[in-house]
Amino acid sequence: MRTLTNVLWRLWLPVLLVVLWWFASANSTNLFVPPLSRILGVMGRDFTNGVLLQAMSSSLSNLALGLLIASVVGVALGLILGETKRLRLILDPYIHFVRSVPQSALVPLIIGIFGLGSASKIYAVALACVWPILLNTIDGSLGVEVGVRRVSRVFGIPRMLYYRRVVLPGAMPQVIAGIRVALPIGIVVMVVSELFASNVGLGFYILHSSSTFRIPETWSGALLVGVIGYVLVIGFSLIDRQILAWYHKSGAR
Amino acid sequence: MATTTTTPMAFSGRPSVNWTLTFQRVITLVVILLLWQFALMSGLLPKITPGVPDIVTSIFTVVTMGNFWVGFGYTLFAALAGWLLSCAIGVVLGLLIGTVRPLDRSAALIVEFGRAFPTIALMPVMMLVLGATTNMKITMVVLAAVWPVLVQSILGSRRLDPGIVSTATVFQIPKGLWFRKVLLPSALPFIATGVRISASIAILAAVGVEVLTQVPGLGRLITLAQEAERWDNALAYLFFAGIFGWLVASLLGRAEGRLLRWNRQSDD
Amino acid sequence: MSNTESVPGGTLTRVSEDSLLRVTDLSLGYGEGADEKRIIENLSLTVGNGEFVSIVGPSGVGKTTLLKGLSGLLKPKAGQVVVGGGALEGPHRDVAVVFQDYSRSLMPWMTTRENIAFPLQGRGQKKPLRNKAADEALDAVGLGGQGNKYPWEMSGGMQQRVAIARALAYNAKVLLMDEPFASVDAQTRFDLEDLVIDLREKLGVTIMLVTHDVDEAIYLADRVIVIAEKPATVVDVIETGFGTHRDQVATKADPRFQDARGRILTRLRK
Repeated sequence: MRTLTNVLWRLWLPVLLVVLWWFASANSTNLFVPPLSRILGVMGRDFTNGVLLQAMSSSLSNLALGLLIASVVGVALGLILGETKRLRLILDPYIHFVRSVPQSALVPLIIGIFGLGSASKIYAVALACVWPILLNTIDGSLGVEVGVRRVSRVFGIPRMLYYRRVVLPGAMPQVIAGIRVALPIGIVVMVVSELFASNVGLGFYILHSSSTFRIPETWSGALLVGVIGYVLVIGFSLIDRQILAWYHKSGAR
Repeated sequence: MATTTTTPMAFSGRPSVNWTLTFQRVITLVVILLLWQFALMSGLLPKITPGVPDIVTSIFTVVTMGNFWVGFGYTLFAALAGWLLSCAIGVVLGLLIGTVRPLDRSAALIVEFGRAFPTIALMPVMMLVLGATTNMKITMVVLAAVWPVLVQSILGSRRLDPGIVSTATVFQIPKGLWFRKVLLPSALPFIATGVRISASIAILAAVGVEVLTQVPGLGRLITLAQEAERWDNALAYLFFAGIFGWLVASLLGRAEGRLLRWNRQSDD
Repeated sequence: MSNTESVPGGTLTRVSEDSLLRVTDLSLGYGEGADEKRIIENLSLTVGNGEFVSIVGPSGVGKTTLLKGLSGLLKPKAGQVVVGGGALEGPHRDVAVVFQDYSRSLMPWMTTRENIAFPLQGRGQKKPLRNKAADEALDAVGLGGQGNKYPWEMSGGMQQRVAIARALAYNAKVLLMDEPFASVDAQTRFDLEDLVIDLREKLGVTIMLVTHDVDEAIYLADRVIVIAEKPATVVDVIETGFGTHRDQVATKADPRFQDARGRILTRLRK
């Protein structure tokens, strides 16, 4: 009973808003604001004929690859910088400067250099996502207990093993947090780069439909991207909770 | 987007200059620039990449050009207006949602959805509805930048100490005064984080809209320079975009440190 | 002046004519219906004008709950609290509180002056007026000229002085104190106790102190009310009869002090 009222409390407003939108737009004469029913109808059609699925798979694989590159580079560099104080101090202002560049401004340059294809999208995502991962990894490696470090030194743990089995697991919660921050940034950059110039993907679907004045398609593409972004972010935080169960249980925080 | 990291170095204005470190930093910069130049000459970088001297020259010529300042002005205006609106809306709504229980439960899903929604996806739709105007740009900025402030304000208002609540109740502090002088300052450390994140998102969104549309601004200049194959100019604009973002971040960090002096002290 | 042997219940009639605070058959608790848990049951007491009353009881007996009830933060399940003629419906203009945890009752974002003046601002007093009141209150607690400091720039004892000053400036008829000296070291504690005695002597405020410290309860009060049992109720009342002037060494060496101490400790051990 209590859970039911709780669910109702959480749902009534979103449902009401969607219903309002549905009916308010039902007889819309504004060319640019099509009825919600029509937007959803178009979305359903393009899902069944595979257009949207294909666009999604291309966009999402670019996003995943970009994020993967960013994670590998960010974690590796982050661990090195975290363990070498001098290097960290020297590079600090540069890292902060590069991180401050609005990532969307990089998109035209990256596309200009690497062309229309997937490579430019992957690089754009990677370049935008690497910074939060890098900075969080540095934080994480700095957070590894002094005692643990000392033990590793006393037992003469080899360098690589030390990184792999001590610093990396110790920094893991921060690394995951970094990826969680990077994910929405990556989605935004993916969308921007596809909207800027592309011939496949969700951004292309939106761009193409708006330039050919198929307005409901534009709306459905935009909403779909939004929903996908939302699902990815929520999904990641669920996975994150699973992976880091030990961390939350140990009460380290 | 609730967490970002700041390394302790960034915002602590330390009075004494460490000359060795500064020297090492300068050397590192020189090495990076030399590497760039060598990579270019050896053909590792694409042919169209401009050399270091070209970029440096561009940085100096660009500052003397009127259209740079006009473009910069447009970006600054839209980002600033959108950011201020976001802060006002986010703080008021956030404090309300955070303290009024029924509102909190009803709005939870919308807030969760809104903060995870990649707002930039709505750009083409906004273009259709509002056209390629400054208003559209500001709307986009608000839609993107309001969430961190909102979420942080909600978190901040939940943090209000029960002891403080009792005190305010016993001394019969009226609602309006309570809101302004108790709830708001208490939530301020959290709000400040939201405001800071929101500022960089505002810049990101403003530039993003400019890159994608014909709306004038720094992002538009970069696109135009790229289309005209003036890579040196494009990189110069990018450099200033970075300086802008960095300036805003460090100014806000410093303001936060000053404004929230009480918070750091009372935490220990 | 030597009626340390006053009987429980006898106090109810003693000052009832000019009583400032009267509690009749008060019951306090949390939860509703089947979940209801009574903490205080059928508690009655009165505090006369200018009187200093201590309520002492073992840890966990419900002293904080009682204080919440007396300050209007918690609605009674039964019975009532009457202050200056009217039944208490909620927080009252005539009741000021000094909380135990000064670090959580002073607002760290306000200077000490702003902290003290804040309730007066809530009452709509103009700035020069309320600042003047705040500075006077600071003088009274021995913190003259420290109005521009922030609470966290002060020691615990000084912060608690600020909290007392805030309650004084509020100009309430009754000052409730919830273990106000529990979070400070012994020496500071003695200083604060003597400050309260001093303030009472000079300003004639009516004070009700809730504490678990038996010595403190006796040392400060005209009358010590002992509460115990679950749910808690009054189990003993003792008149101390020390007058308004006290001394940390002499008063505590007084045989009446020792008698009262023995009696309360025995009562609480039951």
